[in-house]
Amino acid sequence: MNFLKKVTLQVLPKAEAHLSLGNNSAIHTSSVCCRVQSGRYRITVKRDRPLTYEMANPPHFIGHRKSWNSWNTSTLKDALRPSQTAIEDVFIRKFITGTWHALVCSEIIIKRQHNTIRIAAIIRQAIAQRKMYFLIGYTEELLSYWMQCPVTLEFQTVADKKDVVFKYI
Amino acid sequence: MYLSRQLRQLPRSRLTRHIASGNGTHYTTAARPAAEHIEIPKRIERSPTDLLQALASTVGRDSTAPHYKYHDDPFLIPMSNIAKRTYALSKEAGRKAANWIKEEHRELFMHQEAQPPIEKFAPSMVYTEESEVDASSLQLLISQGEVTDAVLVYNLLEQKGIEVTDALKQSLLELVCFYNNQEPLPEEYIEERWFMQNNRRRERHGKTWKDGELAEKLYAAIEPKTPQSYAALIRGMAKYLQCERAYALLQEANEKRIQLDTNTYNAIIQIVSFIKDTAELRWQMCTSLLNQMAEQQLQPNLGTLNAVLECISTFGNFKLARSSALKVLPEFKQLGVTPSLGSYYYLLIIFCRERAPVSHVIIDILNDIAGKEFKVEHPKDTFFFATAMDVCRNHLHDKALAKRVDDLLHTGNNYDLIGDSFKEGIYYRNYLALLCQTESIEDFMQFYDMLVPNIYIPEPGIMEEILRAIEINGAVEHVPRIWSDMVIFDHTHRESLLLYVLRIMVDNRPNPELPAQQQLPKQCAKVAMDMYNKIEESVKRIKKVSFTGQMLGDILTLLVRDNSSFDQAVEVFNYIDKQQHRIPGTPADSALFEYIEATVLNKSPSQALLALQYAVENNMETSALAKRIHEGFTLSEVHLAKLKSLVGEGFINK
Repeated sequence: MNFLKKVTLQVLPKAEAHLSLGNNSAIHTSSVCCRVQSGRYRITVKRDRPLTYEMANPPHFIGHRKSWNSWNTSTLKDALRPSQTAIEDVFIRKFITGTWHALVCSEIIIKRQHNTIRIAAIIRQAIAQRKMYFLIGYTEELLSYWMQCPVTLEFQTVADKKDVVFKYI
Repeated sequence: MYLSRQLRQLPRSRLTRHIASGNGTHYTTAARPAAEHIEIPKRIERSPTDLLQALASTVGRDSTAPHYKYHDDPFLIPMSNIAKRTYALSKEAGRKAANWIKEEHRELFMHQEAQPPIEKFAPSMVYTEESEVDASSLQLLISQGEVTDAVLVYNLLEQKGIEVTDALKQSLLELVCFYNNQEPLPEEYIEERWFMQNNRRRERHGKTWKDGELAEKLYAAIEPKTPQSYAALIRGMAKYLQCERAYALLQEANEKRIQLDTNTYNAIIQIVSFIKDTAELRWQMCTSLLNQMAEQQLQPNLGTLNAVLECISTFGNFKLARSSALKVLPEFKQLGVTPSLGSYYYLLIIFCRERAPVSHVIIDILNDIAGKEFKVEHPKDTFFFATAMDVCRNHLHDKALAKRVDDLLHTGNNYDLIGDSFKEGIYYRNYLALLCQTESIEDFMQFYDMLVPNIYIPEPGIMEEILRAIEINGAVEHVPRIWSDMVIFDHTHRESLLLYVLRIMVDNRPNPELPAQQQLPKQCAKVAMDMYNKIEESVKRIKKVSFTGQMLGDILTLLVRDNSSFDQAVEVFNYIDKQQHRIPGTPADSALFEYIEATVLNKSPSQALLALQYAVENNMETSALAKRIHEGFTLSEVHLAKLKSLVGEGFINK
């Protein structure tokens, strides 16, 4: 994947320089925050931060109240391309939020089955239908050029952004 | 559970049978299959897509859902013919844009993910003046059907003085002749093909062959001339209607005793109608060409049959056309040529003409081909269904035949032969129009529910036919449903349709005693009010509909028939009253009378007097109105004085 290649090309010399500073591994002394912070939202003073259902449920509810955002088998034992899949998923998410600018109002769910990729999201009805169809055709085609496999969009639309708000905190 | 129960019974049954058989033959249930000879069938060779095709054959077109090319979301489902076209083409435009980006930023798309690599996902090769090319790249381009690139590479090879073999020149000549040295529409853009109809018909009219261009140069470069090079050039010229020169080339080839093939003769027979003017001359030339084929011992094929039939179909003299078609058919049957749907299409246009006696040839055709599955074999095969339905409707007016044609269309994969959106539209237009004229209204509405709106959306003309059927049957209960469809399909700016809907509702006063019609006055009033609002809104639009007095009178009548919408009726009447100088015509007398009846019921004498004043000012019949007002109300002094001032005192004494 040349996206990855380009990233590594830029990053690699820096990382090497960093490593060569001294081969002594430092002790990480700051507290581990990721487990209490990631995927959680802080309550605002005015209690006016809108959360979707997904956002309202912290990560430990995955598999109980909400589901995974990426569906694939790359992390099973002896499975293929785990890292490529993860990077590709990041790319797809960035591509879609950028192409459907200010229109996506949910998480982007990526499902891989055999050689196809199905992408689901909730879209705001802020542009005309024919523009949406243009973007659907464009996204499907360009992503399939990039990933070199059939890509299907399974978007749903909502009339208003507030329709996906589960609660305010 | 079931199994264990059976097992318990097994010994017992064996026992009984043993006793019953008496003579002691020891056969059991288990022993019997062993006696049968099992024959293992031979392995059947499957293609990679056979499994998919088997799976696909289990699902048909779902008439309750839109076509699968549209996105499955209520917001994105197309609701009118224009929307269907726009959405599908927009999606394809998006795909084209992505393709453009891939070609423009080719350096970003050079990676290879798929194993084995898929060519279509990679940017295509670009050939420029500086490219390193050889004969093999030309070969590759020709096999891929890339016309412009192949021509470019050929020119490069010529400049560099690289020898191109005659075989390669021949295949390039064939490519150039087939496409007339023009890049065809790429195969993957199916929607553009599906919705493109007008361009293709225009193509048929004039010569589009490029004289003196690459094809002829290539032909000149091939020495000595082979039969194949003659064939390629003749077929190319015939396809793009350079008729005279194509025929001249054929004669030249014959003089040089060059053996041509069947398809080349087919191409010439197809353009006979462009070379000769009258039917007799055309038929003469046709037969002479066929005789030439026979001399050269060329076996005619389906293309020959269709070409001859096409030539016959251009005869103005229908008697000659019919008789020659009847001569041709048995001969080709003897030769073992099975006609395709295209041949039947030609038969239909030969036999079923507007200015010729009625022919029932379609019945014989359907007897012949009902229940058969067809594959596309000839370009004209896709014309059959639209024409057959047209014959059923306009020529024979036969519902049963139309249904047989429809059955044939839905047999196997025959729906693939419907052609494009234009022909599909014609097919369903004729089908629906025929059904609404011949079926009872209840049966027709069943068909309507099945076809509309996902498979077919009626055009305004067909909507009018449907409304006519409703009017004839007096089935006013279907009007609200049809009206809501008309709103969705965007037919509300057609004045004739609006008037028709109103007339049906006004003329068929709902009978409140029938349970099916109890809700109707209310629904009709809703439709009327909806229409009133739509017309008022339309002032801002480009396609304006303007009120007429007749229209407003009908709306008024419908509103007063529903007791709960009297206020809206008053609003509409005030509109009529205030705008009376702008609105052409006046409401019908009956409309005003019904309005005054309603004012009596709702006890508002001032409204009644306003209506009377309107009638007086517009020179309408007033005495009945005045009488009704006088009898219906106990009028106050002021009202009575007004009444007198409007119509005089005469009526009170009657």
